[in-house]
Amino acid sequence: MNVLTFFDTAPDEVDAPSVDDVQALAEDVWMALVGEDEVLVPRMVPPRTPFDATGVWSSSVTVSGGWAGVVTVELDEGVAQQLSARMLALPDDEPVTDGDIADAVGELVNMVGGNVKSLMPGPSVLSLPAVAAGRAAFASDVTEVCRLDLAWRGGPVRICIHVPS
Amino acid sequence: MRAMIIDDSRAMRSILRRIVTGLDFETTEAEHGQAALDQMNAGVVPDVCLVDWNMPVMDGYTFITQVRANPEWRDVTLMMVTTESEQRQIVRALAAGAHEYVIKPFTADAIEEKLELLGLLGADREVPA
Repeated sequence: MNVLTFFDTAPDEVDAPSVDDVQALAEDVWMALVGEDEVLVPRMVPPRTPFDATGVWSSSVTVSGGWAGVVTVELDEGVAQQLSARMLALPDDEPVTDGDIADAVGELVNMVGGNVKSLMPGPSVLSLPAVAAGRAAFASDVTEVCRLDLAWRGGPVRICIHVPS
Repeated sequence: MRAMIIDDSRAMRSILRRIVTGLDFETTEAEHGQAALDQMNAGVVPDVCLVDWNMPVMDGYTFITQVRANPEWRDVTLMMVTTESEQRQIVRALAAGAHEYVIKPFTADAIEEKLELLGLLGADREVPA
């Protein structure tokens, strides 16, 4: 399990993009990466429900500066494999390696995080992405301020935004 | 025409490669700015570089300043392709010598449009009806 904590200082006030904004940018990113023929579908998931995938890939980027936050993207393992194969244009008979997934999921969270950053006050800096197989855990000094549950090809995808408490 | 795709993500390089090869470009790739400079110093000088901003080892902004500091590479067109969308970053990149700026996510049409604006698409290229 990966513990994520990134902040040196807390901002004066908590600010976060809306779920609608994050959904719109997630759809744009997804369309750019996989094409227009298969869209992300919103899922209704009760608050505080753990991410319901059997195998998970987790990724995050940190935004520091005018706005501070962590943007995470969690993907069902099957979604991560299929997304990576699609992004890398791998032939059907070519296996998707963990390196392929780490690369593709890293680019996904980079694009989502970069677009979240653009919605918030700047100037700010985007970190390089961190990607891991498994669930990410958060330190107790951060608060989830936005969560979006989606599905692609039936597998779950979760995008969250955390800010310093 | 030759394009060099500079991005630390293989997946993004793959996406861009498919777009520009579809526009009749030959491509080379580099995973960060320093690797791109190494190729150029070795004689692999493209007509256009598609450059990410956030990369390990050497970021895209530093790469642009290094390319612009070498008069032998003054004809190389530089296009940023990045998630960095703050106005001050765009201004910085353009002031440092980038010719165009594309914000991720992008469409293939957006890349084609920018390359066309830069005069990098062959005049004899077939235009779809």
